[in-house]
Amino acid sequence: MAKKESYKNRIELLQGTLDMLILQTLQWGPQHGYGIVQALRTRSGEVLQVETGSLYPALHRLERQGWVSSEWRQTESNQRARSYQITPAGKEQLLSDHSRWQQMVEAIAAVMQVSPAGGDE
Amino acid sequence: MKFWRRRADDIDEEISTHLAMAVADREQQGEPSEEARRAAKREFGNPLLVRETTRRVWIGEWVDHLLQDLSYAWRQIRRSPGFSLTVIATLALGLGATAAMFTVVERVLLQTLFYPEPQRLVLPAESGRRGDRESMPLPDIEEWQQREQSFEDIAFSNSAVGRSFLEGDAAAEQVGHYLVSTNLFSVLGVRPAMGRGFTYDGQKPFAHAGDEKTIVLSDAAWRDAFGGRKDILGRIVRISGQPYTVVGVMPRGFSFPWNSSRPQVWTAAHFDPSDDSRNALNALYKLYIPIARLKRGVSVAKADAELKVIQADVAKLYTDPYARNLVTSATVKPYGESLVKPEVRKALLALFGAAGVLWLIACVNVTGLLLARAAVRQREIAIRGALGASRGRIVRQLMLEGMILSTGGSLLGLALAVGLLKAFAHNLATQLKVKGAMPDGRVIAVLLALTIGSAVLSAMWPAVSSARAAIEPALRQGTGGQAGQSREQHRLRAALVVTQIALSLMLLVSCGLLLRTIYALRHAPLGFRTDHILVGSMAIPSYRFAGRDLTSDLYSPMLERVRALPGVEAATLMTEVPLGHTFNVTFSFSAQGNSADAVRKRDFRAQLRVVGPDAQKVFGFKLYKGRYFNEGDTAGSQGVVVVNRAFVKEFSQSNDPDKVMGERLMNLEKDRPAIVVGILDDSRQVSVAEQSQPEMEFYLPQLKPDSSLYKNVEGIAMDIVVRTDRPSASIVPEIKELMRRASPELANTEFVTMDQIVEDSYGNQQIMARLLIVFGCAALLLCLSGLYGLLTQLVAQRTREIGVRMALGADRGRVIWMVMRQAGRMLAAGALAGLALVYFTGKLVSGFLYGVGAYDLWTLAAISVLLLASGLAAAYLPARRAAAIDPMEALRTE
Repeated sequence: MAKKESYKNRIELLQGTLDMLILQTLQWGPQHGYGIVQALRTRSGEVLQVETGSLYPALHRLERQGWVSSEWRQTESNQRARSYQITPAGKEQLLSDHSRWQQMVEAIAAVMQVSPAGGDE
Repeated sequence: MKFWRRRADDIDEEISTHLAMAVADREQQGEPSEEARRAAKREFGNPLLVRETTRRVWIGEWVDHLLQDLSYAWRQIRRSPGFSLTVIATLALGLGATAAMFTVVERVLLQTLFYPEPQRLVLPAESGRRGDRESMPLPDIEEWQQREQSFEDIAFSNSAVGRSFLEGDAAAEQVGHYLVSTNLFSVLGVRPAMGRGFTYDGQKPFAHAGDEKTIVLSDAAWRDAFGGRKDILGRIVRISGQPYTVVGVMPRGFSFPWNSSRPQVWTAAHFDPSDDSRNALNALYKLYIPIARLKRGVSVAKADAELKVIQADVAKLYTDPYARNLVTSATVKPYGESLVKPEVRKALLALFGAAGVLWLIACVNVTGLLLARAAVRQREIAIRGALGASRGRIVRQLMLEGMILSTGGSLLGLALAVGLLKAFAHNLATQLKVKGAMPDGRVIAVLLALTIGSAVLSAMWPAVSSARAAIEPALRQGTGGQAGQSREQHRLRAALVVTQIALSLMLLVSCGLLLRTIYALRHAPLGFRTDHILVGSMAIPSYRFAGRDLTSDLYSPMLERVRALPGVEAATLMTEVPLGHTFNVTFSFSAQGNSADAVRKRDFRAQLRVVGPDAQKVFGFKLYKGRYFNEGDTAGSQGVVVVNRAFVKEFSQSNDPDKVMGERLMNLEKDRPAIVVGILDDSRQVSVAEQSQPEMEFYLPQLKPDSSLYKNVEGIAMDIVVRTDRPSASIVPEIKELMRRASPELANTEFVTMDQIVEDSYGNQQIMARLLIVFGCAALLLCLSGLYGLLTQLVAQRTREIGVRMALGADRGRVIWMVMRQAGRMLAAGALAGLALVYFTGKLVSGFLYGVGAYDLWTLAAISVLLLASGLAAAYLPARRAAAIDPMEALRTE
């Protein structure tokens, strides 16, 4: 029970951010699900490990909203894989997500700064 | 549904690709493949969960939109209850009629026989100069069995002579008793649910030693008579006093012949040397009805062709030319087809067609209503479009509205169908032998198909057209209620109304013709009185009175007591009342030779009736010549017989009664000839619509228990007929009490009035006329409401124009005239189109008419006038509303 709860929490925590991260990854070029996981892991210095249980629903949700499009393609290793591509609408979304995330990070950082610094003002 | 499945497969493939890639990656890094696979799986997590959550992303949206559209549609329906109720009621009328008719058609025409592969069961029959002959002597059947290659096997049966009673644990019950070949059940392909059935060794399919006195019970007989007791096998049961050992109980739902109303029992037919003869003279009870099972893959047509070749040889075996002429050819027909009389099939299909037309009218009407509504809602739809709703979404939402309405309509329609079936239960039972018909799963399935059909039909078109409408002009229009409607749409709606009028006229004319038919039937000269007569058909286990005279021992003393009841004017006994259809005996002469006269005599068939004293007093038969029976005719006096004029005509080939009067027709018993003493005026004995048949009447007090007339006629069936002024509800219990005291078995006698018997004998016309009244009135109502609705809307839309006209000096009369003229044009066009349709339906209904032509001018004129008058009456209301428009106000509204 407790485990389930934590799993759920993580999805919710990640939701906004995960969409943004996926869109950002696709910004660099079309990619399939496995590729996105790998890309995020290497880019984050092995810190971010995206759960497939969150990744695929997120991908499909993005597709439903028209921010990414998908098609079945042949990979270099001659394997059929569904490849995702960011759409113009997705790019706009990424921009607004990005700026909102930036505001959020700044705001959180401001709150989290040690109190003496606040006292200086 | 397909879309969902594809999506799910897609996700599955995506997941497996993901896993494959992960494994490949790890292998490249040098991990052993087994370990790589396990690690990749561990890393991936639960694929099922991934698949489910991913799929839900899509389903969720779909369901979400559907729920949104549904609740919106529901709100729309709630907002205009008048409109919604009209649509639902209209659809209910159409669907209810169709569902009720389909139930009946299904029960009668599409009935599924209990037997496996019923399409392979066929009835072979000999045919010749006098048409098909369903029963035949055994040698012919054997010849067929040996030579016909198309048959897998052939069985035969014959019903037992007279009435049979099964003595159960409590009481004796009348059953259908059939003597069957021992291979019958295997030909039918059904094994007993309990017991072994009859043994059959592939030789002669007659009862074998040890099997002579065995019996197989139907499930109904087993339950009715023995309460379904499990130890029935091996027990001795009695059929009309004869003991039989039970060797089987058939499964529930099985019957043969199919669909009989009584519980059935079967015993193995006994071989008798006379079975091997083709001699037609003593073969009355030695004829069998064959039934065959075709080999797999053999067509009925092929079997038929083959049998015709064989029958040419079989016919040569008949030495008597007269008999040979009756069997020159043979036919093979599907068994299922033989169960429905052609005229019943035609009547049912005609009624089904009428119900279909009513359904069509309802759909057309609903389309008109929805069209009008779409016009009113154009602005609302335009706003939704402007706010970004896709065309598909708008169409779907409007279709959902149609679906909800038609679901409501079909639920109500189902209730209506049940009501209709209940209301017509009596007619269905007497004319079509359909008892307790209720819509079943299949009917409900068809109803659903019709619902969806009508929803698509009636909601789709307005939905598409309004979704196609340009958004801008609709938005720019002022008040919502009068949003512009194109000329095209008006014309379409007018065309719909005209269609409805035409179809209604067609239905009403058919209905009118059948009403005329019923009227003609009611006034057909029956030749006897039918008022104030009660008839009880007595089913008595007469075998218990073997050797005794039922008439003197039982019937006569009881009749005396019935006569003594207050209010009884006269009472008599009769083997069967005219039009009764409970017991039918025909008489034929056993002439020899093949001269023209002998052939005529051998072809001659007469109805046979035995009557008691006072029969004339009860029925008021009119005598044409001579005298009726009287007290002087006794068991010891000269034998007498009374015939009718049809008999004279057929028998003497002339209308001269003197050629028959005094003639010795037959012997009452050995050396006791009966002479013709009277000739009755013709009466309708078989059916009201049929001309009189030749008839011979005998007098009850003259017959002795050992005479063949007594054994075959009098001792088997008897009706008690009472003329009384008292209502049947008050006198029947008293009569029944007297009968119960005479013999307990008689207490179950059912009484009906003679008027009811006459009514029931009208046959298909009666039920057709009644149903057509329902359908015709419903159609009229629908088309009037369609006309009224259209005109009301037109007047509302033209308020401004009418205002201007009146301001410029048009008086109210002119305005009324303007609206009425429009209605008149539609009515005239509809009536003309309807009359054209009547030309075609006339050919269909002509077969059901009696005493009136299919293109009867009076009927056509009367129906047309009725339709025009009621149409104009419906138009007058909107016309008056138009004339009541105040010009000042009308001009000010905009």
